[in-house]
Amino acid sequence: MSRVVFFIALRQLWDRKLLNGIAVCGVALGVLTLIGINGIMQGFQQKFLSNILRISPHVTLFDRQLRPQAPILARASEGFVVTDVHHESPADRILRISRPAEIVEALEAMDEVVAASKLLVGSAVISRGSQQYPVEVRGIEPARQDRVTPIASYLLQGNYRTLEASPDAIVLGSGVASRLGAKVGDVIVCGSSLGQRLNLKIVGIFEAAIPPVDNTRVYVTLRNAQALLGRPDTVGRIELKLREPDAAQVVTARLEEMFGYDGESWQETNANFLALFKQQNSIIDFVVGAILAVGGFGVLAIQIMIVLQKTRDIAILRSVGFHRRDILSCFLLQGAVISLLGAFVGDVSGHYLIQALGKLKTKQEGLVKSETFLVFDDPRFYWYGFGFALVVGLLASLIPAVRGSRVEPVDVLRGQLG
Amino acid sequence: MSDESSFAPATEGARTPWPEPGKVVLETRGLVRDLGSEAVKTRILHGIDLTIREGEFLSLTGFSGSGKSTLLYLLGALDRPTSGEVSIDGVEIGALDDDDRATLRGEKLGFVFQFHFLLPEFTVLENVMLPMKRRGARAQTAIESRAREVVESLGLGELAGRRPNQLSGGQQQRVSIARAVANDPRIVLADEPTGNLDSRNGLIVMDVFERLAREQRITIVMVTHERSFASRTSRQLVMKDGRIVEDLDQR
Repeated sequence: MSRVVFFIALRQLWDRKLLNGIAVCGVALGVLTLIGINGIMQGFQQKFLSNILRISPHVTLFDRQLRPQAPILARASEGFVVTDVHHESPADRILRISRPAEIVEALEAMDEVVAASKLLVGSAVISRGSQQYPVEVRGIEPARQDRVTPIASYLLQGNYRTLEASPDAIVLGSGVASRLGAKVGDVIVCGSSLGQRLNLKIVGIFEAAIPPVDNTRVYVTLRNAQALLGRPDTVGRIELKLREPDAAQVVTARLEEMFGYDGESWQETNANFLALFKQQNSIIDFVVGAILAVGGFGVLAIQIMIVLQKTRDIAILRSVGFHRRDILSCFLLQGAVISLLGAFVGDVSGHYLIQALGKLKTKQEGLVKSETFLVFDDPRFYWYGFGFALVVGLLASLIPAVRGSRVEPVDVLRGQLG
Repeated sequence: MSDESSFAPATEGARTPWPEPGKVVLETRGLVRDLGSEAVKTRILHGIDLTIREGEFLSLTGFSGSGKSTLLYLLGALDRPTSGEVSIDGVEIGALDDDDRATLRGEKLGFVFQFHFLLPEFTVLENVMLPMKRRGARAQTAIESRAREVVESLGLGELAGRRPNQLSGGQQQRVSIARAVANDPRIVLADEPTGNLDSRNGLIVMDVFERLAREQRITIVMVTHERSFASRTSRQLVMKDGRIVEDLDQR
């Protein structure tokens, strides 16, 4: 492209500061929206996911067997008698993971697995004075469990190690503690319908920043949970931490195949949230796309107007030796400059918007607990904004530019145009 | 305006004779041009054969609709004939594509129209420089000094930094002449260059053209309505209904 085309394009742009400024603002607004909305949405989603990944194991193996053995009578009469056993009582078939220690050992030998831990989970009621509160009791091996879901890292008060050292310790979720008005050091009574009642001492209070968890969950040792729930020597699930959280689904399928127990990846556990996020993100993509398109239409409208006003100028330029290509590049260049400026303004203002929003103090409770407005400042969005703005701006100026390049000087001179 | 008084029109009479024309620079053979749609076609030019030589100052006169402007656009490679051939400085332009014709216009031709067609965003000097910059035959500094030289020779030196809308009609037209000649054209084609000017400014423009033809031997083809201007040129063509009906050597 000849330098003079550059010169003409830039001068013409500068001479119509107001109109072109409006076009720039349209593009910038699109980019700003892209960065702003994505920053807010991703801020929430990322925070939620990272919280989830802190308290939720990457993979859980449950005590449901995928290939249960046939009832004992059927096994005994296998081969020659057709039998069917109806209404086998649940009590006859205790759900448990058999030989859990061996499974854990096998799991920890796998390359993909960072840590594995045995649990027993059930419902219990905590009483303190006259108050009763239902909770989800998780019996854990404290040291191992901390490697799978780092409970110690979100312990608000107390000492996590005491849970292992002391025979009658319990760690409460912050919501549970506040509802019971209990503090570290207090003793509470915990019981369930099938097992013993235990007097337990509160040694710690944790907050995972996910209210549904903080309001219901308590941790005790595996042994205490077995006593409490009346299921001695039972392991109800095995939780795993993987090297690659994203690989959880593949690994889960393999583990199911290997051990025959029902497995669940964290994606499955939180499938409803992930699906919701996916839907949210498509809506955002649509809205942002629409706003960028509107910005593009702004460029289109303004450029068409300018080209119409410039018919005579195009005619004279063509008369004095400028090629069609020169005219085309002149207007495309203007579109490119408008979109580059728009992208730049949008990126910069988007950055400040994200910064400002991030400093906003709001108390959030619900899915995620936070003191500030959650935003996620992902550099990718700036590049997306830049790229989309450039594409939209160039596409929008293509029509006017082609139109301008098709102006025949002789038509203008005859007075049919311009 | 003081500027215009310093550039007074030449007085009538005491005319020096025109020099001998040189070699052929513009030639047409059997030039036909139809305008309008397929259904309603009007023949504007009925086979024009014309030879124009270097240094000629040629005026095209005739009533409106006689085909003067159409002929001028064909001579300027701005339009394509329905049939027939135009050659400019020995180049047959029928064979050229759009880009080549644009390049040829930039190198060999200069245009002056009834309206000045100056680009409003650029100063006088920049307007004069644009065709030279596109052609790229001179270095950047040479382009500027050439533009200054031409602008000054047309008495516009002090206005070089102004924008077209800050000039009078006569000044604007002189700037457009400067733009047409700065790029050293072989031929300047002018379509009613005085049509929008008062008689004083019209005379100034005529003087400029005459000087270009006499001193720089630039061939000038000028469409005009005004008999007095037409009679000052070295050769006058009178057109009627798409044909040349008179070809007067006025030397």
